[in-house]
Amino acid sequence: MRPAAASAVLGLALAVGAPTVWALTRPEAAAGIPVEQALPAPAASSGASPLPALPAPTTRSSRPTEVRPAPAPARISVPALGVAAPVDAVGIADDGQMELPEDVSRVGWYRFGPEPGAGGSAVLAGHVDDREQGPGALLPLRDAAVGDEVTVTDVAGTVTRWRVVSRELITKQVLPVERIFARDGAPRLTLITCGGPFLPEYRSYRDNVVVVAEPAP
Amino acid sequence: MTSLRTLGSVAGAAAVVGGLVLVATPATAADTATVSIIHGVPNTPVDVYVNGEELLPDFQPGTLTDPLQLPAGEYDLAIFPAGADPASTQPVMKADDVTLPAGADATVVAHLTAEGTPVLTPFVNDLSPVPAGQARVSVRHVAAAPPVDVRADGTPVAQGLTNADEATLNVPAGSISADVVLAGSDTVVIGPADLTLAEGTSSVVYAWGSEEAGYDLAVQSFSGMHSMPAGVPGGSAGLAGGSSLSLVTAFSAAGLALAGAGAFRLARSRG
Repeated sequence: MRPAAASAVLGLALAVGAPTVWALTRPEAAAGIPVEQALPAPAASSGASPLPALPAPTTRSSRPTEVRPAPAPARISVPALGVAAPVDAVGIADDGQMELPEDVSRVGWYRFGPEPGAGGSAVLAGHVDDREQGPGALLPLRDAAVGDEVTVTDVAGTVTRWRVVSRELITKQVLPVERIFARDGAPRLTLITCGGPFLPEYRSYRDNVVVVAEPAP
Repeated sequence: MTSLRTLGSVAGAAAVVGGLVLVATPATAADTATVSIIHGVPNTPVDVYVNGEELLPDFQPGTLTDPLQLPAGEYDLAIFPAGADPASTQPVMKADDVTLPAGADATVVAHLTAEGTPVLTPFVNDLSPVPAGQARVSVRHVAAAPPVDVRADGTPVAQGLTNADEATLNVPAGSISADVVLAGSDTVVIGPADLTLAEGTSSVVYAWGSEEAGYDLAVQSFSGMHSMPAGVPGGSAGLAGGSSLSLVTAFSAAGLALAGAGAFRLARSRG
């Protein structure tokens, strides 16, 4: 075959093949059960139980009590994905969103919600990448599979083990924050980063990658 | 809700307060009001009577009840010295026709006026949502004392607060050192005391007591008013997801160019 014909065939193969291979090999947008199903439902409002005419009151001291905070998470690892990162306690950014560590190699724990293992959804999140720093610690989350083990070690050295039950790509505007940041219900570990199409005009991704894990049996 | 507040201080045994519209007899939580009682009259253990029935015997100064769910409606409250016979004893404090509207959350405070007379003052608790990252703090002056300023870490957060009055504000969650000074002065009356203002909660801080018995702070905590973060940011480079698509497009375009060039040369070599 002459070189011109060969290059025409090769070129066509590349033109058709590249999108085909990409479409076949890109990770599925979701794995496991839906995120909203994996997370604890919001607590029902107090039941409509009949009241006794005069309840028996309990009393307590009105002195200020000292609140001893539970140990904060210090490290997270997902061996199957090669994720191993230090964890910082974070709060709320000025724009009302969850604060994240500036350093994309670190992961933030929402300190106003439960710590991993307590009732409700403990949220660990990190930047997926940064223009200067490159890929972030949680970039591999988009490949998380059901059954992947996640371990979290707190500052006291206590380890909690979790298994992924759900991964989903959710448009940021409809992120179910009431579920994701729930402070009661069964213990869940929720890992979040960015994903989906990159929107250069906003210098931001369209979606959040949300991975929910349950306590490992 | 605020109408409850207008009931104000109910001083003395004979005081009768004009009630509001009576709410229909309730049976379920939807028609209930939540009430707590806090005792801030020094050295006076008491029995609490509601509608002539004993609710709480031997209620000690410096303690408070957990929130009580009561059917909405009107209540007569009477406070007697602990162990006294209500049939033959004058109440120390009394408030008649206190209206508890459905859904209200109130704290009834047994305390001293600025002049030292025992009174009952109902306060409405603000349990509206607290912005994410913040805590609500209310300070209530219920001590036999002149107007005061309440300071957090040395900065006044409530100034010129008078007896039976309150100030409420939202602050960043965290720990503060609180003290109470005579209004406009640096004369510390109470504290300093370390207070933990947990995110999404409301702490109601009472300055109570008297000069003879001493002053102290009392704290009542409410939780569950937290708000959620608006979202989760994360990522500015386009290295994940989006970039692989542009890489695919580039490969595909290069393939098309290569094919085009090949076809062009093929056509020319035949022509």
